Amino acid sequence: MDKSKFLNQNIRNDFPILSKKILEKNNLIYFDTAASSQKPNTVINETNDFYQNHYSNVSRGVHTLSVESTFRYEDARKKVQKFINAKSENEIIFTKSATEGINLIAQTFYEKYMQKGDEVILSLMEHHSNLIPWFFLRDKYGVVIKFAKINQYGEIDYNHFESLFTDKTKIVSLTHLSNVFGTELDKKAIKICNDKKVPILLDGCQSAAHLKIDVQQLECDFFVFSGHKTYGPAGIGVLYGVEELLSEMPPYQGGGGMIGEVSLEGASYADLPAKYEAGTPPLVEAHGLGVAIDYMNNIGIEKIIAHETELTKYAFNKLNELDFVEMHGGENNRNSIISFNLKNVHSHEVSSFLDVEGIAIRAGHHCCQPLMKHLGVNSTARLSFGIYNTVDEVDKFIEALHKCKEFFNK
Amino acid sequence: MNDLINELYQEIILDHGREPRNFGECDPHNKSADGHNPLCGDNLKLTFLLNKDDIIEDIKFTGEGCAISLASASLMTEKLKGKKIDIAEEIFNDFTNLVSGTSEDLKVLSEEDSLYALKGVGGFPMRVKCATMAWHAFKSALKS
Ligand SMILES: Cc1ncc(COP(=O)(O)O)c(C=O)c1O
Repeated sequence: MDKSKFLNQNIRNDFPILSKKILEKNNLIYFDTAASSQKPNTVINETNDFYQNHYSNVSRGVHTLSVESTFRYEDARKKVQKFINAKSENEIIFTKSATEGINLIAQTFYEKYMQKGDEVILSLMEHHSNLIPWFFLRDKYGVVIKFAKINQYGEIDYNHFESLFTDKTKIVSLTHLSNVFGTELDKKAIKICNDKKVPILLDGCQSAAHLKIDVQQLECDFFVFSGHKTYGPAGIGVLYGVEELLSEMPPYQGGGGMIGEVSLEGASYADLPAKYEAGTPPLVEAHGLGVAIDYMNNIGIEKIIAHETELTKYAFNKLNELDFVEMHGGENNRNSIISFNLKNVHSHEVSSFLDVEGIAIRAGHHCCQPLMKHLGVNSTARLSFGIYNTVDEVDKFIEALHKCKEFFNK
Repeated sequence: MNDLINELYQEIILDHGREPRNFGECDPHNKSADGHNPLCGDNLKLTFLLNKDDIIEDIKFTGEGCAISLASASLMTEKLKGKKIDIAEEIFNDFTNLVSGTSEDLKVLSEEDSLYALKGVGGFPMRVKCATMAWHAFKSALKS
């Protein structure tokens, strides 16, 4: 273990919830950041400040508060643009979540570029959010979905992936960082798509706060993530899309804010990004996300990655030593997420047992039921880390896991 | 060990979780339903034979799940076998009250019932669905 890689533990003081006691006595150990991250003080306070001192609707009035709200909302867009290094602010669409972003792309991309019989490529380890929107296209319009296989390390089988392409393949959508294995998508998957001139959407839910994201370097066409997994509020998401595609695709929802001009006969649509933002947006949440991005930038993305990678390695090795634990996926190419099962003990039991010890982990199918079927399990237990987790917490978790195994095997 | 955990995982629950009784499919049967917990992927199939006097002659289940869901299904089949439908429905009501933490006015279940061991689920609101999965399958099988 390389201690120099770890972040200064003072940052824990930035997260008020970490001083909460579970069942009034146990310190909270939060290992469920992949489901949703905790929020630093700045995000909580700035959100509060927005409501107390600046709140109004955005882009709709000319009065002072409208100006202040609009400034904050658009400033958040600039921060997101820099954060993922998009070329232009026009490529940053605010949504309510990554889920909404994927639905938006599936619907509008189909409308512009696809027809019955055209093909979409996904993988076996996609989150339901990156399955069902495409299932809709299959059910409604006869689109064909192909699934790339994965190997025992929780990585896509890139040969199989490449073999799935035909001249009917219109779009590919893959998880950038698996929410079950913590494995990162290899750039070669994107290269294959680029070579074949098929647009690729990356589901960045798990990568946005745990990897350095540069959409230009990645050369992806679409990228989505959710604010609540990146230390920001729930209710805000980001859809990045290259401008050429976004400007050709039709609007998603209709409503206020997305129009150019409306008469009773019809309407013209606003330019990007407003075209995809019908209705009053989650403006305070967008601001909160901007603050969360500032927060991560102040710590330094490289430092965050180093901390989490070292912690993940440490926890993986500790768990892997235990003969009563079954690990899912390989040791390498893993960031912030570990799935495992206790032999002969259902993940629910593990999670409930750890809960009363103050340890929050996720148990279940992680919205990846097809993957669970592939693994031959009906659920797994999952540890996932954020910047506030420590080696000490991992040690306490391992200790509790021993107790858990004793309890259920007595 | 924590009291909540000991209350949740009483010996009888661990026992039925490991070795569920009445595991299998009734042959013949005239009622069946699937139960599943969409939050975690646990699932079961319940079958039973209702005779012309409205008595549950035989009842069995198969499926996969956590100790709580398996034990609850197992104890349910033990309790319901031989019962008349109207009684079974009262047991259903009592049981759902018991595990959701309202055990004051139970009509037919008492502390002597082995099902009472599932009361500890009340301390874990997110596990109530595990305990009631088989019971809801029973309810929907009645309508089948
Ligand atoms: C890989 C992945 N994709 C999509 C989602 C959906 O995110 P949200 O519910 O915030 O839209 C999640 C969150 O659980 C995820 O982990």
